Amino acid sequence: MSATDPVVVCQGLTHVYLRGTPFEAVALRGVDLVVGRGECVGVAGPTGSGKSTLVQHFNGLLRPTEGSVWVDGVRLDGRGETVREIRRRVGMVFQYPEHQLFEETVFEDVAFGPRNLGLDPEEVGERVRESLRWVGLDPDRFGPRSPFSLSGGEMRRVAIAGVLAMRPRVLVLDEPTAGLDPRGRQEILEHVRQWRRQQGLTVVLVSHSMDDVARLCDRVVVLHRGQVFLDAPTREAFAQADRLRSVGLDVPRVTDVLLRLRAGGLPVRTDCLTVEEACEEIVRALRAGGSAWSSSEA
Amino acid sequence: MELLRSLTIGQYVPRASPVHRLDPRTKVLATTALLVVVFLARDFAGLGLFALFLGACLLLAQIPLGFVLRGLRPIWFLLVLTLLLQVFFGGTSEGTVLWRLGPFAATREGLVQGLFVTARLVLLVVATSLLTFTTSPVELADGMERLLAPFRRVGVPAHELAMMMTIALRFIPTLVEETEKIMKAQMARGADLDTGGLVRRARALVPILVPLFVSAFRRADELALAMEARCYRGGEGRTRMKQLRYRRSDALAAAVVLAASFAVLLPGRFRW
Repeated sequence: MSATDPVVVCQGLTHVYLRGTPFEAVALRGVDLVVGRGECVGVAGPTGSGKSTLVQHFNGLLRPTEGSVWVDGVRLDGRGETVREIRRRVGMVFQYPEHQLFEETVFEDVAFGPRNLGLDPEEVGERVRESLRWVGLDPDRFGPRSPFSLSGGEMRRVAIAGVLAMRPRVLVLDEPTAGLDPRGRQEILEHVRQWRRQQGLTVVLVSHSMDDVARLCDRVVVLHRGQVFLDAPTREAFAQADRLRSVGLDVPRVTDVLLRLRAGGLPVRTDCLTVEEACEEIVRALRAGGSAWSSSEA
Repeated sequence: MELLRSLTIGQYVPRASPVHRLDPRTKVLATTALLVVVFLARDFAGLGLFALFLGACLLLAQIPLGFVLRGLRPIWFLLVLTLLLQVFFGGTSEGTVLWRLGPFAATREGLVQGLFVTARLVLLVVATSLLTFTTSPVELADGMERLLAPFRRVGVPAHELAMMMTIALRFIPTLVEETEKIMKAQMARGADLDTGGLVRRARALVPILVPLFVSAFRRADELALAMEARCYRGGEGRTRMKQLRYRRSDALAAAVVLAASFAVLLPGRFRW
């Protein structure tokens, strides 16, 4: 992968909340991580493992207690100008981003970011319309409406458009599908895949959902108690079902089905990531050694 | 960003100390008594004794001193201002002049007075935070409700007040967390919160306040629904799972506080 062209680099990253108080909590301990340009990395881990804390270092919202973070070769040390530039390059979609909407119209809300960049009105308008189209909302129909009159899924897409309008090179999504129905989930993920292809975006996806990670990411980083527990290409990561389960994580449903079939005696590969791939594999396995399997079942 | 979290004033510090185990009513009354005592204390020796007593209480309650001092941070400006005002204007005009700045003169009497008032303020804050450090919000509200109960006959809505207080206290951390999250989200969209003049800064708050209000109303709605779903209908005939009970330790604590108060208030010549 693009280890030769790293975008985000963390070295010995440690973060301690409320240091020196009775509420002191170590969220990250010595995390080393490299995200290559154009990569799509899934960050998974049980609740409280430090996922959100980690990604908030990527655009300088949090400062390392120890260790360092580089973005595009620039070290984030909390100085005004570098942080401003980094925040433009690294877009961050928080959990439940629809809670940050505040303007009177959808158009104005999406325009908040580009205006903060000091762009002229024409450029702002262009970006707003484009971003709304990227998330599948018609700018003429939705632009003048109040964001608070939209459905939950639409609000979330408006919020994401607000981040995309900054034209980031790296997009960090923190649980983008939480609380959405399966269709809303599917749509958001499909959009992310498209942006990545069209704009060569680097994507960091924080998620509990192993299904989402399997569908979208090339690589999985699993955090456990503030440390990197596993960092491997997606297929290899999910092949280690037992390790994942030992820290309270699941494997994708596809992997789960294949693992059960295998346990039941059908010799299938278990490293398939999509339903289609799994179907083919099951058919192949049934054709190859199927007679033996069905007879043992009978 | 951790600024919001570092507000330690009014924060509960869970510990298994004898002070934590006291009945909240005892602690509320004792704190009230101590506040009165701080204001009545007449000399440095009295304040010194008071400080020693508070220190002993903090030690007993296992609250680290650093944490207490951190709680003073939000009011350091007030403290310095008080000190300066007293130094320059607190003494009488014919006091011993220590130092001159234009038409203003710092007097020895003013300095003494200033130190006294500042020390009194610090002790006031520490005494109050001792109560909130060692008493969970729910206990505190319970205690207040019981203490106010006798006044129900003259129309004081004791239960409603206590319930409002519990809810308000319960939601402070939630709102702080929410504010932090919204601030971060808007900063990630290039919002600039700390440069520019007053008007610009005030305007910069709009993207934070609007979502905050929206979410506060949403939470209030959800909470009301959740309470009604559990048949909440006010304090009439409501029983509680945790009954407040005075114990021997409460009597002991009351006696100790009373003794300390007398010691602080005694005029100097009787004390030693």
